[in-house]
Amino acid sequence: MNFDFTTEDRALFEAVRQAAAGREGLPELLPALAYTGYLNPELSGTTLMGAMEALASLDPALFLGVEMSARLLGRALARWGSPAQRARWGAPLAQGTWIGALALSEQGMNVDNEPLATQARREGDGVRLEGAKSYVVNAPVADWIGVVGRLEDRPALFMVARDAPGLTVEAALRTLGTDGLPIAGLTLAAVRLPAAQVVLLTDDHLEVLRLWENQVLIAAALGMQAAALAQARDYAKAHRTGGRPIIAYQEVGFKLAEMLTLHQTSQLYAYRAAWAADRNAKEAQGLTWCAKVFCTEAAERVAGEALRILGGAGYQSGGAAEQAYRSAKYPQIAGTSTEIARVKIGDEALGYLN
Amino acid sequence: MDFGFTREQLMFKKEVIRFARKEIVPRVQEHDLRGEFDVASFRKLGEFGILGLHFPESLGGGGADVVTTVLAGEALGEAGVDGGLTLAYGAHSFLCADTIFRHGTEDQRRCYIPKLASGEWIGCMGLSEPDAGSDVASMRTTAERRGDTYVLNGTKMWITNGPIADVAVVYAKTDPAQQHAGISAFIVEKGTPGFSAGPPLLKMGVRTSKTSELIFRDCVLPAANLLGKEGEGFLYAMQTVEWDRSALLAPFVGVTTYLLKKCSDYAKGRVQFGKPIGRFQAIKHKLADIRIFGEAARALVYRIAWCKDQGRPLNHLEAAVAKLFVGDWSLAVTNDAVTLHGGYGYTHEFDVERIFRDTRLAPIGGGTSEIQKMIISRLM
Repeated sequence: MNFDFTTEDRALFEAVRQAAAGREGLPELLPALAYTGYLNPELSGTTLMGAMEALASLDPALFLGVEMSARLLGRALARWGSPAQRARWGAPLAQGTWIGALALSEQGMNVDNEPLATQARREGDGVRLEGAKSYVVNAPVADWIGVVGRLEDRPALFMVARDAPGLTVEAALRTLGTDGLPIAGLTLAAVRLPAAQVVLLTDDHLEVLRLWENQVLIAAALGMQAAALAQARDYAKAHRTGGRPIIAYQEVGFKLAEMLTLHQTSQLYAYRAAWAADRNAKEAQGLTWCAKVFCTEAAERVAGEALRILGGAGYQSGGAAEQAYRSAKYPQIAGTSTEIARVKIGDEALGYLN
Repeated sequence: MDFGFTREQLMFKKEVIRFARKEIVPRVQEHDLRGEFDVASFRKLGEFGILGLHFPESLGGGGADVVTTVLAGEALGEAGVDGGLTLAYGAHSFLCADTIFRHGTEDQRRCYIPKLASGEWIGCMGLSEPDAGSDVASMRTTAERRGDTYVLNGTKMWITNGPIADVAVVYAKTDPAQQHAGISAFIVEKGTPGFSAGPPLLKMGVRTSKTSELIFRDCVLPAANLLGKEGEGFLYAMQTVEWDRSALLAPFVGVTTYLLKKCSDYAKGRVQFGKPIGRFQAIKHKLADIRIFGEAARALVYRIAWCKDQGRPLNHLEAAVAKLFVGDWSLAVTNDAVTLHGGYGYTHEFDVERIFRDTRLAPIGGGTSEIQKMIISRLM
């Protein structure tokens, strides 16, 4: 047992913070993060969770853009791609020279419970891909989109270039929160790809992809909590009423205590789930669902309480708590949604989970 | 970071669960109904080695580290041992015996620890008073030095094991003019003239633990019964907080695992509208919330334990966070467990009713949730 990060871990977290400071777009941020080692696809476990938390606390939306590019797509290619595929896409994604997107969600269905509707069939030396994906992070700005679908009876990752004939990326969605995060649906109408652009997967790989996605969303929730808590705490110490800083009043101090409790509990939850997933991803699925429900719901609660402490100052657009409050719904909905996760946790307890 | 237990620790946990299920749990409901302390089970905890687990073998202990000791507490909860017995064990081993072990002289250690570790003697701690709960410095019990003796006067309140204890660690003011620095600790044995325990209080939960006042009326103690140094009593009392936030919280973590199994089994067997109620999403959500709480609480509790094993001074912020979280959130979980059982959960026939009552102490005992919030907000 050991509850400490290593010195190397902490150095990486600091390097990530420094690399991200002042950088506002993915083209600028990704190479800077690559230089710190943050985009290394082998990074995993608590080190990765701690590093993700460091970045997410600076800008949760930008963090999600980075992760959907280099982490989810980059790591899938690094882990399951052929040497040629790793060289062609994995390396540029890890170096931050390309922006990637991972298209997993299907339009009008829940990918946690139903088979993927996006299908490819073999045609000549390649494949022909048909389908429609929704809520794809980075889709409007990605150089390459990894589309998850099925090739005959097997799951597969199809690497589709932004200008591939038959690919239509819809206009970026206007969203409640995660300001600046480009999200869009896309359709694939007879998209023809050479076999070299197909990474064959297994159903277990899909489970791991979902687990990674959930881990990213957990880290985003930690970042939102940290940012909202810091703004509220600083304000409560600086803002005075009745001759005292408002943190001295129990109605404010106790709120902050509850927020910090939720935040520390979320952190330990996230680290422990990441540690467990590193040892055995399949066995850690349940713990990861638990962590996702807890951390993402705590993010909304912490942000909401922060706004109450901040009063009018928090209601103005642009503050960390205001942004976190609007963005906190995203990690609850994305990935394995809170509702679906609770059903799955319950099924696991009941022995109903297949 | 590493959140894993060793193979030996996990094997030990299984052994504790097996032992408790066989030797203790079958009588838990009966004793709760009667509101009786189960002295036989308490002695069995001693025989198994749990009461003195973390003391050196030379004093009759098991020589275990803090994490293993906390694991034993979790195992008792997971086995279904009631909150009354685990509270009695906590007050005995950590609030009384550990304070003697940590601050006592060699003679005091040799005199008391083997008897407390075996369960031959029962220990308690007297800190709270009718008008001095979390505000310890306002205590009124005094210990006046007269030659080679101290004379104690005052009343202690809410003392777990009070009516049944053979020995008590008692805090009193040797210098009433001082606040915290005026408090000293003493060892008081049952039968000491001027020392008596009040009648057991009737309580909502943890009914198998006996709670009472401790009354001191010109109670004369030999000066040798001073524990540690004069004026350091508050410090000693605060050092028990480490145990309070780890070993005493651990049974609540274990109870969550117990409840999850209990509720799952019930949900699979209870058929309504032609199918087990476990097939309904609302029931699955309740089961999920029980597990979500348990997993969250586990890491908080073991963080305190692990830091203690590393010899680090207590991080008061982390300790308060653990207590606040376990205290406040455990209520919702036990409430869900009762609701899930419907009318049966409201009866004594199903032990979720007792667990619900036992858990109500979590945000009160050992420092209320409000006090934890006060500590956290001051340290932020």
